Amino acid sequence: MTVSQAVRRQLWAILGFAIAVLALSAVLRSDYFELVLTQVLLWAVLSLAWNILSGYSGYFSFGHAAFWGLGAYTVALGMLHFNLSPWVTIPAGAIVGGLAGALIGFPTFRLRGHYFALAMLAYPLATLYVFQWLGYQEIPLPMKRESPILYMQFSNPRAYVALALGLLVISLLISLRVENSRFGMSLLAIKQNEPAAEAAGINTWRWKMLALILSGALAATAGGLYAVVLLVVTPEAVFGMLVSAQALILALFGGVGSLWGPVIGAAVLVPLAEGLNAKLGNVLPGIQGVVYGFAIIGIILWAPEGVFWRVRDRLVKAKLASRPPAKPAAVPVAVLPHERRQPLGEDLLVLRDVGISFGGLRALDGVNLAVPERGLYGIIGPNGAGKTTLFNVINGFLAPERGAITFAGESLVGLRPNQVCRRGIGRTFQVVRAFPRMTVLENVIVGAFVGATDDDTARRMAATAVDRVGLSARADAVASGLTTRELRLMELARALAPQPRLMLLDETLAGLGHDDLDDILNVIRQLRADGVTVLIIEHTMHAMVQLVDHFDVLDHGRLIASGPPDTVVRNPEVIEAYLGKKWAEQVSEAAK
Amino acid sequence: MTNKLTRRAVTRGLALTAGALAMPAIGRAQAKSVKIAMIAPMSGPWARQGQLLRMGAEMLQDDVNSGGGIKSLGGAKLEIVYADAGDSTEKAKNAAQRLLSDEPDLAGGTGAWLSSFTLAVTEVTERAQLPWLTLSYSDAITNRGFKFVFQTSPTAEHQAAETLPTALKLAQATTGKTPTTIGIIQDNTASPVSFAKPLRDGGLDKLGLKLVVDQIFTPPLSDATPLIEKVRSGKPDFLLLLTSAMPDCKLVLEKLDEFNLSHGKVPLVGNGAPFGSPELLKTIGPELLEGLLFSVANWPIKGQEDFIDRFKKKTGEPFLTQDGLCGYGEPAILVQAMETAGSADRLKVADAIRAMDLTTGRAAQCFPGPIKFDDKGRRVDVPMIFAQWQKGVPVTVFPTDLALAKPFWPSV
Repeated sequence: MTVSQAVRRQLWAILGFAIAVLALSAVLRSDYFELVLTQVLLWAVLSLAWNILSGYSGYFSFGHAAFWGLGAYTVALGMLHFNLSPWVTIPAGAIVGGLAGALIGFPTFRLRGHYFALAMLAYPLATLYVFQWLGYQEIPLPMKRESPILYMQFSNPRAYVALALGLLVISLLISLRVENSRFGMSLLAIKQNEPAAEAAGINTWRWKMLALILSGALAATAGGLYAVVLLVVTPEAVFGMLVSAQALILALFGGVGSLWGPVIGAAVLVPLAEGLNAKLGNVLPGIQGVVYGFAIIGIILWAPEGVFWRVRDRLVKAKLASRPPAKPAAVPVAVLPHERRQPLGEDLLVLRDVGISFGGLRALDGVNLAVPERGLYGIIGPNGAGKTTLFNVINGFLAPERGAITFAGESLVGLRPNQVCRRGIGRTFQVVRAFPRMTVLENVIVGAFVGATDDDTARRMAATAVDRVGLSARADAVASGLTTRELRLMELARALAPQPRLMLLDETLAGLGHDDLDDILNVIRQLRADGVTVLIIEHTMHAMVQLVDHFDVLDHGRLIASGPPDTVVRNPEVIEAYLGKKWAEQVSEAAK
Repeated sequence: MTNKLTRRAVTRGLALTAGALAMPAIGRAQAKSVKIAMIAPMSGPWARQGQLLRMGAEMLQDDVNSGGGIKSLGGAKLEIVYADAGDSTEKAKNAAQRLLSDEPDLAGGTGAWLSSFTLAVTEVTERAQLPWLTLSYSDAITNRGFKFVFQTSPTAEHQAAETLPTALKLAQATTGKTPTTIGIIQDNTASPVSFAKPLRDGGLDKLGLKLVVDQIFTPPLSDATPLIEKVRSGKPDFLLLLTSAMPDCKLVLEKLDEFNLSHGKVPLVGNGAPFGSPELLKTIGPELLEGLLFSVANWPIKGQEDFIDRFKKKTGEPFLTQDGLCGYGEPAILVQAMETAGSADRLKVADAIRAMDLTTGRAAQCFPGPIKFDDKGRRVDVPMIFAQWQKGVPVTVFPTDLALAKPFWPSV
């Protein structure tokens, strides 16, 4: 198993890192350096927490100070009002942070992209004023002369290094676990293409919420320990813009979406900023900010995705260069002797009088459709006829304004795409929606989660699906480097992986050359031979005529013809819709 | 004389810069020097205040050293080491920890201006048993049971409690009449809210004051007209102005002027050193500020005329403020403690500060009231100072024995 090997390597790396930090702490001969080391570790935890949400799912948060601050205030107020020890209040802070994550996520995940990022900005700023208004401007943690250790007040600063390190190791382990599970994979899929993830059956809402809750809990834990180290909590210090920015900058610098990126960022930038403050702050006040800014700009120019990715890409390149160039693997395609026809079953998918309009445009207008089990049905029609809209209505991207859609007797109206997918409907897209940074196999695994109870099953199902489309040799290739044909096959495999009963294929043949076309057609035939029902949208007429049992023709949102291919292609109305009146007349004359 | 001093200052400045690069060598060359620390925000939003503190401290260092150093230590030279508290509590705390690591033989220190910075810094200095002086107001600073922290300013709560009674005394002394009605205009930020809360909760009743205008706004203020209309119709004997942002303060003053209520027609009372800053003068101008009174922890007082002149000449500042004054005065207390203790040992210096009861001398001159600390580290018997803008300068006008000018309080 390659994956568990990779995980084991990471576990060793974490152990090595922990030993290195402890050794460094033992060597340092100044309380000041121990303090800075502690801060490096704590900021790394915050940045890792941020990374779990924003790095993996792509939902950038400008507001992680909210969690950090809540953790800090849980510790400070617990001690001030109830004489509670941080040993209790730091874990309590984690719960507060997790709850805050849930509360914040609930309304905020309605937004995407920049809107989400900006909305997140509001939370710490609002909380800042709330805490000021509550009169908690400056909360010093009381000095406990009697039982300092009970209250996490150590005279030896190495104790704080050890605590912060412990927290960082826990965060790294959590991140590692997330990265290598359905959780992380789903987040990555969301980041790269949320609609595709949703259509592949991923409950995007649930994973995003979980990520924010986990992220909030971790950030709050670090914030709690930060309060113990700093001993004074003020709203500006823990809810301020600087905190949120720090989480973001460290991860961006070190490498977003990587396990070690935030740690690298903290290990470089925190001491750099502090060193500049120390050396230049009282000589040329303000210059430290300028130098710091230039350092960040320089690194971003050199490594736009962060130090980690830049270094990794370098290493990978060096490794590749040292090896003899590998020939691109030939892709064996399942060649079928001949199609076995299976008898058609009951109607599986039924649409009754389905309608939807966008403003004044009636995209679908009273469409009736029935696809029998094991049928291979084609939907054709000129551009703008409403074909893709039809698919979007079936799989839940759009809700029909009227009409009924049933699948195996159950209504699909009102379901979210991932719920539709769970009922056994897979789909591909007109423009391939791949997860470009993932490998072929990973892309397909994302699709398999829906049909698998555990991650190993998902992996097996994905491998089978990749095999079925004949991509096994390319399973470890990264999606961004695939040809159009391979991408189409991969998308087919992703939709196939959870073993759906119905596949919606949206222009799967578009943009393919003649030879490539046959590969895909073979796969589709194989599907139907395996008993999968297929509904396909296509322009390439000659391919379709050979392929399908039945055509439904859409024009201007209405169904204009329906029947076996040879009848439908002779239908003058169809020819007119496609080619215009002139052709329709010519054809009818030729027929005479 | 001035020339000579300046040249010496420049030389010393150069030596200090060189010292930053080659500290050990210089340190050995000046074997007989004692070090104290100043932590202040020298970068970030409070950099200006930090620089004023530093100006004061540099003047003190010159004065002590040109006067023959610390006599009971055989004329040891005074060396003040500076650290930037930056713009966050974390940076302030790091600065303190760094100073203690880099400078193991500090005799004491002062700073870090902003209360939250001071709280963080003193968590470090207290554990190192380093005597620490601060002008920060927060009650929390000396509520923690610390033994090595000394607060030279009256605390925020004390100032809130003393401002109005003192204002009434001032009015009584000036006009012979005690005001009976008051108006409050304030924003809803933290410090005005905590200042005004005890007043509304019975504080005003005790003073026999009737609240006739009570206006709270959320900054930034877009239009002060509704506030000032209330003032015009309510006709309070005086107006308590608690704003924390300069633009809001400006709007209120402009509107008062527009309604013909300025120049003390309705006496204005504020609280805190920002009401007397040169920046306020620059933004608002002497015309509108004329007559504005404010209570403050420390302000130039009688007996400091010579020092004020020297400070203005040396720094080019339009007038001396609390920051420059305390920047000079707090290190002066540490110097005085070393003189008395005959030692630069931090524990002995702390003992000397605890035992201190000074009413004369360089240190005592910088503060109203005696230099005498109670068990908590707060100064005792400190009168509340009132300053008033007169012809573009905020001058101390009350208590009378410390005043540099006579207050005016027009009777309505």
